[in-house]
Amino acid sequence: MHDRVLEIERFDFTYHGAAAPVLEGISCAVRRGEFVCLTGDSGCGKSTLLLAVMGLLRGGRRQGAIRVAPAEDEAAPSAGILFQVPDSQILCSTVAEEVAFGPENLCVAPDEIAIRVREGLRAVGLEGEEARSVERFSAGQKQRLALASVLSMRPGLILLDEPTSQLDAAGKNELVAIFALLKARGHTIVMAEHDPRPFTALIDRYLRLEGGRLVRDDATPPDQVRYRPKAFLLPYSATLYGTRPVLDVQGLDVAYPETGRVLKRATLRVCRGERVHLFGQNGAGKSSFLRCLAGLLPADSGRVWVAGTEKPGPGTLRGRLGFLMQNPARQLFAETVREEVAFSLERLSYPAEEIDRIVDETLSFCGIAHLAERAPLTLSFGEQHRVALATVVAPRPVLLLLDEPFAGLDFPQRLSLLAILGRMPIRYGTTVLIASHDELPDRRWADRSLHLQEGGIAERAA
Amino acid sequence: MQKGPPKFRTSLRSRGYPCRFAEHDSPVHRMGAGWKLLFGVFLSALAAGGRTPLMQAILVMGTLAYYLSARLTLRDLWCDVRLFAFQAAMVIPLYCMLDGVEKGLWPGVRISTQIVLFYLPGAVFLRTTRTSEAMAALRRIVPYRLSFLVFVSVRFVPLFFRELEEIVALQRLRGARLSPREQMNPRNWPDLFNCVVLPLMVRAFRTADEVSRSAEARAFGLHRERTYLDVAAMGRADGEEAVSEVEGRDGAYPVKALTD
Repeated sequence: MHDRVLEIERFDFTYHGAAAPVLEGISCAVRRGEFVCLTGDSGCGKSTLLLAVMGLLRGGRRQGAIRVAPAEDEAAPSAGILFQVPDSQILCSTVAEEVAFGPENLCVAPDEIAIRVREGLRAVGLEGEEARSVERFSAGQKQRLALASVLSMRPGLILLDEPTSQLDAAGKNELVAIFALLKARGHTIVMAEHDPRPFTALIDRYLRLEGGRLVRDDATPPDQVRYRPKAFLLPYSATLYGTRPVLDVQGLDVAYPETGRVLKRATLRVCRGERVHLFGQNGAGKSSFLRCLAGLLPADSGRVWVAGTEKPGPGTLRGRLGFLMQNPARQLFAETVREEVAFSLERLSYPAEEIDRIVDETLSFCGIAHLAERAPLTLSFGEQHRVALATVVAPRPVLLLLDEPFAGLDFPQRLSLLAILGRMPIRYGTTVLIASHDELPDRRWADRSLHLQEGGIAERAA
Repeated sequence: MQKGPPKFRTSLRSRGYPCRFAEHDSPVHRMGAGWKLLFGVFLSALAAGGRTPLMQAILVMGTLAYYLSARLTLRDLWCDVRLFAFQAAMVIPLYCMLDGVEKGLWPGVRISTQIVLFYLPGAVFLRTTRTSEAMAALRRIVPYRLSFLVFVSVRFVPLFFRELEEIVALQRLRGARLSPREQMNPRNWPDLFNCVVLPLMVRAFRTADEVSRSAEARAFGLHRERTYLDVAAMGRADGEEAVSEVEGRDGAYPVKALTD
C-alpha cells in the first residue's frame, strides 16, 4: 500500500431494504498527493462511496474491501470528510471550539489542540476568528470552518462531498484557492462533485460513476452536457401577454439589526409571462426580497403589489403565488405524490373531477407521471424536488418564485428544471422569477436578468 | 410609497435566534459555568415559588439585573421571550374567560410571568456560556457523551424554530389552514399535524442523522474520555511574542509551537 493512500477492491453496497445495489464492483486506488474527482450524476453513488471510505455506512449489505492507509500521526484518523451542508456539520458555538472538536475526541493534549486550531484556521484563511460565534458566518465561511475542523485532525486522506454546492462564485473561488494550497502541500484529496469545472486545474484524475458502477478512470474532464434550446423558449412578448404588471415593487427597505439594511429602496416591475433571473451573492438579500413579495416578511418601508394585491400575505395569495424555497422536499408529507399535488387544489375547493384532471396534467407537465402512486418521502432528492415543484405549479399560479432552485441538482436536472419553468409562461401565463447565486445553466432562458447588489436591483447586461 | 421613519418593529426584527451565545465579555461571562448553573437553578426555583405580587416584582427586577449584567440588550431580551409573549396573550385571556376579569387577571399574569422568570436564567446561561465550558461543567456530573447530547440538542433547537416558521409559511401558501384563526377550528387541526408536524419530524430525524454522522466522522465517541481545548493556551498563542515558528509535523503548514 506504501504509495497508495486508498485502495478499493470489488466493493458492492446495498442499502437496507433496497432491491438493487447502490455501488457495484468498484475497484480503484488513490496515490499519495493525488487530487481525484469522483464525478457522475446525482444518485450515482458518489456520496455513498465516500461514506464507505470513512466507515460511516450503517446497516445494508456490503462485499469487497476498502483499505485506507493509516495517517503518519498515530493519533490522527486515516481519513476526514467535509460534507455538503455546513449547517448540520458545525456542532459547537464558537470557531475555536468547532475546530478543536476533532482533536479533543482524539485525546490530543490541550496545548497541542491550541496549535492545531491555529494551524487549521490559518490554512483556510480564518486566522484571528477563534472567538467568533459560528452563527455570524456566511455559507462560504462556514464551509471553510468545516474544512478547518477536518484539517485540525491531520487526516491522511481528505474526502470532500460536493463542497461548493451551497456557495456563490466568490465562496467557490475561495475554496478552490484553499484546495490548491492543500494540494501543493501534499495532501491527498478525493472530491465528489457533479460539476468539477472550477477545479479542473487541480484535478489529476477523474473517476466517473454511472448507476453505481465505475465506468471511467482517466485524466480527461467529463464532457459538459450541451444545452439544446427548445422551440418553446420564445422571448417575452408584450403582444402575447399584455403589459399588465404582475409584480410591482417600489422603494422596498429591509434591515436586520445584525447586518443593517439588506434592501435599500429596491424597485422592480415585472409583467405577466416574463421569465426573470435575480442574481446575487450569498447574503445579498435575495431570500429577504422574495419573502417580502410572498408576504412572509414585512418590509420596513416601500410597497409591494402581487397580482393586484397590495401588501400580500400567505393567506391572501393562496393559489395565485407559488413559492419554492431552498430544500423544497421539506414541505412534503402526503402518502402518495398524487395526494401531495392534489392538496393545494382541495384546499382551494376545486371540484373532485377537476382535481383529478389537473393533477394528471401537472404530473405529466413536470415529468413525474410515473411516480404518481409512490410515497414522496421515499423518492430521491431530484424526484422530491420535482414533486415539490408540481405542488406549487398545480394551482396555476400567476407568479412563481423560486429561491435557489438549483441547489443539490446536477447539470441535467438543472436543465430539465429550467425547461419546465420555460414552458410555464406560454402554458399557464405564469411569471417566473428565479433567485440564485449561480448563473443559470443557460443564460438565454431569462427574458430579464437582474442583479441584486448593495440592496438595490439593477438590470444586467445581456 | 411610504414616507417617514421605519416602523418600530424594525428594531425588533432579528436574524438571530433565542439564546444564541453572545461572544462579548461581561461579569456573567466570566462566572464559572457551574456557578451560573447553580445560580440559574436558584433563580428558577424562586420563580416557581414566587406567587405574591411583591415577590414577583423583586424577582423581575433581580432577573432583569442578572440579564442586563451579562451585557445583553433589550433587543436580545425580546428575541428570547417573544414566544412567551404569544403564550401570555393566550393564557391571560383564558383565565379572564374562565374566572372573570376581576378574579382571572392576576392568576393569568402571575403564571405567565412565572414561566418567563423560570426560563430567563437558562437563557442567560446559554447566551454567556461556550459549549466547551458548559460541557466541562456538566461532565463532572454526567458522562461526556450525554453532556454533548444535551448541548447539541440545545444548539439545534433554534434551527428548528426557523424550520418551523418556513414550513408553516410554505404550507399556508399551498392553502393549508394554519393561521391562528383557522386553527381555532378543530376541523383544521389535521392540517397542523400533516403539513407541519410531520415534515418537521422528518427534518428533525434527518438533521439528527447528519449531526451524528458529522460527530462520528470527527472521532466522537472513539475514546472513553476526551481532552478539552485549553482556552488559556489559545490566548497565549495569540501573542506573537509567546510563540516561535517551526515547521509542521508533515511540513504541511508553518505551525506555531508554544514556547511557554
